Amino acid sequence: MELAIGIILAGCAIGAGLALIAGIGPGIGEGNAVAKACEAIGRQPECKSAVTSTMIMGCAIAETTGLYGLVIGILLIFVAPNLFVNILLNAIG
Amino acid sequence: MSRIDPTVKKETGYIAGWVLLLSAVMELVFLLTGHMDYTVPLGNLLGGGAAILNFFLMGWTIQRAVGLEEKAASAKLKLSQMLRMLMLIVICCVGIALNCFQTVAVIVPLFFPRIAVAFRPLFDKKNGQTAAEGKDDVKID
Repeated sequence: MELAIGIILAGCAIGAGLALIAGIGPGIGEGNAVAKACEAIGRQPECKSAVTSTMIMGCAIAETTGLYGLVIGILLIFVAPNLFVNILLNAIG
Repeated sequence: MSRIDPTVKKETGYIAGWVLLLSAVMELVFLLTGHMDYTVPLGNLLGGGAAILNFFLMGWTIQRAVGLEEKAASAKLKLSQMLRMLMLIVICCVGIALNCFQTVAVIVPLFFPRIAVAFRPLFDKKNGQTAAEGKDDVKID
């Protein structure tokens, strides 16, 4: 029984860690986007406002991907262990 | 603290408006399903505030980064994103750990800026059409 609960907890912890890897992607993407925006503004400084506005919205979209991972990770840490252990206990009876 | 760009203020205001609107809708759903108590507005305040703050900090970082070299700007955004993600993790953990916050009401508002951005083209299209009509008027005159 303890082994089964331990496996559940370990699985949840590993899953949460894997889910939070999704937080790396948006950082790289936003970094590349802003680098290209700097290049664009360097070419056409008069477009700074339009480029900044578009980039902010684009970064907000990119950021959501990381948020999905964050929420999944948090659910796996705080919610899933109790849920799965209860399911296990009910199944054993 | 450097001066905040009007573009950042405008976009943050747009996002804040949508977060308020969608928060009201979410609270209405809680009310209709009979799960409404004091923890829902508190959680909504925490989650919505975090979403708006996260967006504002992102815009502010972008404003400061566009004046830098490409590599420095890229590194600045990566660092900012990591710190903002840590901030959101802490806020989510606080929202889940403390009983005075409703967990769902903390987490759901974090996605409201994404919904606001998804609706953005509708308003841009409307404004674009108005501008085009204005230009046509000028040409005719």
